[in-house]
Amino acid sequence: MRDAKWADLLRQANNGHRDAYIAFLKQVAPVLRGVIQARSGGRHEDCEDILQNVLIAIHEKRHTWRENEPVSAWLYAIARYKTIDALRKSGRSRTTAFDGEEAQVADDNVIDPTAARDLDVLLTRLDDTSAAIVRQIKLQGLTAEEVGAQLNMTPGAVRVALHRAMTRLSAAVAEDDPETANQKAPT
Amino acid sequence: MNTNDLIASLGADMTPVRPGLLTNGVMLGLAGGTALTAVLFAVLWGVRSDPAAIYGNMPLLAKTLLPLALGAIALPWMLAQARPAGQSRTRHAIWALPAVLALLVAATLLTTPGPSWSMALQGKSIMTCLVSIPVLSAPILAALLVALRRGAPEHPMRCGMVAGLTAAGFAAAIYSLYCIENSPLFYGTWYTLAILGVAGVGAIAGRFALKW
Repeated sequence: MRDAKWADLLRQANNGHRDAYIAFLKQVAPVLRGVIQARSGGRHEDCEDILQNVLIAIHEKRHTWRENEPVSAWLYAIARYKTIDALRKSGRSRTTAFDGEEAQVADDNVIDPTAARDLDVLLTRLDDTSAAIVRQIKLQGLTAEEVGAQLNMTPGAVRVALHRAMTRLSAAVAEDDPETANQKAPT
Repeated sequence: MNTNDLIASLGADMTPVRPGLLTNGVMLGLAGGTALTAVLFAVLWGVRSDPAAIYGNMPLLAKTLLPLALGAIALPWMLAQARPAGQSRTRHAIWALPAVLALLVAATLLTTPGPSWSMALQGKSIMTCLVSIPVLSAPILAALLVALRRGAPEHPMRCGMVAGLTAAGFAAAIYSLYCIENSPLFYGTWYTLAILGVAGVGAIAGRFALKW
């Protein structure tokens, strides 16, 4: 039984077994990807964003699973909630300029100076720690390990914070973009 | 960021989970909120001058026990609501409360003369009741909402509503020790209204405070 296997892995993970935890996430990710695709019918990259948010949510809320309850129902409930949430947000602000650029900013260490200036303005929207993480990793090219050592965080926590910050920035740009609002209005 | 990298990061960030993190937090919040409400009650309201009258008087006892039962039934329902796919098997017991209340009201209508009904309904403290129950609920509801932020409710609004029922149930039970109204017509109407009001506030607050 898949559920029993997952329950076993998550139980071990919650007891502190890192390998079991990573194995758990690797096993559930493709299944959740399917659930998210079926629910959203969205583009591939949207689904991947949602999946990553679901994985972060699983991580942050892993204490809400109780050992005597089925894991799949718990996982699907989280995936459902985060998918609906993402669809509602994107319904408010469909494709935005940042939708394409986010991938660039997220993956490239070479930053266009104008983009850097815009990013600086945007960073004022974040809390200080998140802004520092984005600035140091995206603008100064430091690694998560280096930033983590400075901020007294684990590299993993830094990467998760970075991912969250990028998502928030992307949402902030989407909200600001008046063109999107104008395009939406007539329909 | 690539999904496999994210999984590696999450793995690196993993720490063991303390079992009962959510439940313990909520119980602590409930205890703290209720303690604050009790202090507020002792200072500003106080127990009615004839507390002994409550024993042995069924409708009067019900005025305290029904809201207490509401709190006790809503609490596990609220905890289940705070977990993804959480199930509460006991939540349907909540329907027993309006049923018992309806029986008490019916018994009152059958045993008292018609002309006295309106006076019983109006009592002497409608406003006190409608203000006191929400005010006494506030510390409990606030503490519950803070504690529930550790949870992951699929329906934040519903979870907030049930938190409102929990808080109002315990607060109304405490308030009933002050309240000098004796008729089920009175408390069946005004307590219910006040409790539903707090549930509504809880729903609205939950919608914003319990998003995750």
